[in-house]
Amino acid sequence: MMRFSLLLLAVNSLLWSATSFAAERPHYGGTLRIEVRDTWQSLDPVALTSPASKSLSLTVFETLVALDGRGSPQPLLASSWTSEPGNQRWRFQLRSGVSFSDGTPLDAAAVVASLRNSNSEWKVVAAGESVIIETEAPDLFLPATLAEVRHSIVRRNNGGLIGTGPFVIREWTAGKHLTLAANDLYWAGRPFVDVMNVDIGKNDREQMMMLDLGKADVVQVAAENIHRTQADNRELMTSRPAELMALVFASAPQSDDEIHMRNAMAMSIDTAALNDVVMQGGGEPASALLPTWMSGYGFVFRGAQSAGARLQTSSKRNQTWTLSFDNPDPVARVIAQRLALNAHDAGITLDTKGDANIDLRLVRIPLTSSDPHIALAELANALQLPRPKFNDSSVGDLYAAEKNLVDSQRLIPLLHLRVALALRPGIHDMSISPDGNWRLQNAWLAAEKP
Amino acid sequence: MSFRRKLLLLFALLVFVSVAAVTLIVSALARRAFDRTNDDRTQALVAQFRSEFSRRGEEVAHRIQAASSTPEAARMALASAQSSPNYNAFLDDAQIVAEAQRLDFLEFCDDSGTIISSAQWPAKFGYKEPLVNAGPSEALFLKEEETPSGAALGLFAIRATAAADHKLYLIGGIRLDKTFLSTLELPAGMRVMLYENVERNSVFLPTQLISASDSVQDTQKLAPLIEQVQHNPREKSAVIHWNSGPEETVNAFPLFGDKNQLLGVLLVGSSRQVYTELRNQIRSAALLAAGTGLALAVLLSSWAAARVTKPLEQLAGAAREVADGNWTASVEVSSYDEIGDLATSFNQMTRELVDQRERLVQAERVAAWRELARRLAHELKNPLFPLQLTVENLLRAREGDQQHFDETFREGAGTLLTEIANLKNIIARFSDFSRMPQPQFQPVNLNEVMENVSKVYRAQLDRAGISCTCDLQSPGAIAADPDLLQRAISNLVLNAIDAMPQGGTLTLRTRQTQAFVRIEVTDTGTGIKPEDRSRLFTPYYTNKPHGTGLGLAIVQSIVSDHGGKIEAASEPGGGTTFIIELPRNIEKLSVTQGTHV
Repeated sequence: MMRFSLLLLAVNSLLWSATSFAAERPHYGGTLRIEVRDTWQSLDPVALTSPASKSLSLTVFETLVALDGRGSPQPLLASSWTSEPGNQRWRFQLRSGVSFSDGTPLDAAAVVASLRNSNSEWKVVAAGESVIIETEAPDLFLPATLAEVRHSIVRRNNGGLIGTGPFVIREWTAGKHLTLAANDLYWAGRPFVDVMNVDIGKNDREQMMMLDLGKADVVQVAAENIHRTQADNRELMTSRPAELMALVFASAPQSDDEIHMRNAMAMSIDTAALNDVVMQGGGEPASALLPTWMSGYGFVFRGAQSAGARLQTSSKRNQTWTLSFDNPDPVARVIAQRLALNAHDAGITLDTKGDANIDLRLVRIPLTSSDPHIALAELANALQLPRPKFNDSSVGDLYAAEKNLVDSQRLIPLLHLRVALALRPGIHDMSISPDGNWRLQNAWLAAEKP
Repeated sequence: MSFRRKLLLLFALLVFVSVAAVTLIVSALARRAFDRTNDDRTQALVAQFRSEFSRRGEEVAHRIQAASSTPEAARMALASAQSSPNYNAFLDDAQIVAEAQRLDFLEFCDDSGTIISSAQWPAKFGYKEPLVNAGPSEALFLKEEETPSGAALGLFAIRATAAADHKLYLIGGIRLDKTFLSTLELPAGMRVMLYENVERNSVFLPTQLISASDSVQDTQKLAPLIEQVQHNPREKSAVIHWNSGPEETVNAFPLFGDKNQLLGVLLVGSSRQVYTELRNQIRSAALLAAGTGLALAVLLSSWAAARVTKPLEQLAGAAREVADGNWTASVEVSSYDEIGDLATSFNQMTRELVDQRERLVQAERVAAWRELARRLAHELKNPLFPLQLTVENLLRAREGDQQHFDETFREGAGTLLTEIANLKNIIARFSDFSRMPQPQFQPVNLNEVMENVSKVYRAQLDRAGISCTCDLQSPGAIAADPDLLQRAISNLVLNAIDAMPQGGTLTLRTRQTQAFVRIEVTDTGTGIKPEDRSRLFTPYYTNKPHGTGLGLAIVQSIVSDHGGKIEAASEPGGGTTFIIELPRNIEKLSVTQGTHV
């Protein structure tokens, strides 16, 4: 009897473990339903700017190189690479066995054609199974650059776009809907989900409603809604602060007085209140362009700025500037109003209603790379600032380049915001990289319980 | 100005003055009545506004009270009661509650006055609300509220809800805007506007004017009234003349905030269309009356003038005829009033004038005959006396010896012949004078005649030491008998020479007027005594030792035959000027010669 009971217990345990093992194991099938706030009109990777579009693009179009969580280049379509002394001529060896989703093998010619389209300044030539890229100036960070979405390898065929990624485009209605289907020929193995349905341009409320109604699996969560979403016990996935919110001046300061006023403006802004109240803790106050987790030295700017600015704000003068912001965005409007209130305390009037002669803009710019050099260069480009020059890959060099940009008095960093996604329970193996990119390739859906 | 016109003016003036006086009085009465009615309606509307103000204020208070009972308020109260309150989560709560309670303004503040959440200005969290720190009261009040889009006027209330030892203040209100004004029931022809005095810089800003109905045109016309209230916050009124639409009486009422600051001006407009129409009707009636009166005045003045002026014109015409020489002119007597008396008197006057003229003519004729007889007797007496003496001498000599008789006869015969020649001369002169010819009118250049006379007597003048000056204007065309005219002027020149035995200056002058020409002969001689002047032109009157005394009579006769007149201006020792005035007699040319001049 005892033996029978023990045997029964063993069989029971075995069955239980098997069941649970079965429940955790990825399985194929299902449609991943995604709702996003971002909108875009083209699927061409060179034209994409929003985090959602870039993340989805990477499921269709792959790059030669990918960056890991620390921002280090890893092989993807290129299996290896070398550079000649001076870092002006690079050779990338293509991975073998890779084909486009239509079955066409990936070769150097296709890569060359794609890269020439994405960057006309490079000299790109095919060399057997490798591709040689010559840059105009020494570029230590070319591999990291190639990891950017705009340098995805795309075969353009009669207006159509074909990639090598785990998904293929099945349906596209510009600005409204995107359907991606699993690429059975994917070189790294077919993805688990069969289809990804993406509804584009949905506001936060619509997205949440769809999630709550079970009609969406993944929705974008605005940084200011992260706290509320968590408080509502929804499953949330956030990145590190990966989006810069800043004030950008239209031109360089013309006089010392103007430098003082800009410093006074910077000092007057209560970024903590902006982050804690307006953004509901969805980010962190910023004093540099790169978030501290990426650069490692962001706090240094805060101290330097405070000390410098305190010395210079002793003389207040009446100053009026016109501030432009994304008017339809209620959060931007509140931030603009708050900035106006803060600036008023420093004797500065911010006119938020004028349309002409804009003096400064409130902008939000997502980081494009987890490589700090690439991210800084792209931020400078997006902010219309001079492109930073890097001598090497050291932190000191990076700091010097960033300090130059901050000291130009052309911008006032405000916040670094997180990227967040809310998930329906049962979505597995989906993640967000520190730089805000969604990792969808390995996502799978738990089986629906009857 | 004619009598008729004066009469017309007088009647017209009477009519205008009467009509104007009546119009002014009626207009003033109408305006007073309108203003009274307008005041009553305005006060009623203001009372309605105040009532609505109170009602809405109570509504605000209720809504704020309801807002204080919401879960959001409870959470905020709870948070504020913490030792380290964290208000981060309440950014949007005020907006949510405000929307639910239909409030335009709502702020949640803790008891230190820190704004926890603001509906009208979400970004204002963390800032201080002065009302809380100043010690809020629960009364309703008007307040100027700063918003991101500018200042706005609102009706506010404050309520507090307790949270342990702390208080949570709710400051809320509704905007005084178009919606608020549209709740007022307006009588026809009235409207209400609100001027938000939120800038308070004493300058009118059109953007601050709110109207319940359609947008107000020509808002600048309200500026003076509003600025008056801004400078002196009291009720004021003005009549606004809009560019389009009827004029309007606008009453302005100041609205004060809790610190007695002028926050708004309530404008109640009352259309003056009715009054304007009435005034226009009065004016039209006045114009009609004036026009009718004027027409009547014309008729009346014409009738009255006709009754008065026509007889007078007739009288004037008759008087002119009399002046022209027709002394038999008479006027018809058509009434028995003063005008009739005047006509009767005129007729009587002319009759008596005619009688008197006849008598005068007869008397003059008699006098003339007597004068002629006297002159004749005087002239004839002189030669007759020597004749008589001679005959008597001859008779006496015949009684004596033949030789004495022969001598006496010869002497006497000579004397007889001489005196008979004198007599014949005298008779010849009389005959000449009686046979003065009638003038033969022809075109005459008067200046030529004068110059001829001057030439003819040049030598005689030089011998007498007399300088002759001609001052001849161009007299224009005249018709005269050149010979007679020359004779007349010659006689005057001879008289002048006789008047200047020691020499002097003779001036011959011609002048002209429209209808007459004027001839002047001036000497610097002895002049004429006053007693001689009246008999100057009498035939045979002379004060010279020689001469017939007919010279000036002949001149007068010639001048009279030409239709002119002659007069003498003279003073003893001061020279003499003979002035002849002749008509141009152009018409006599066509009559006498059948040709135009």
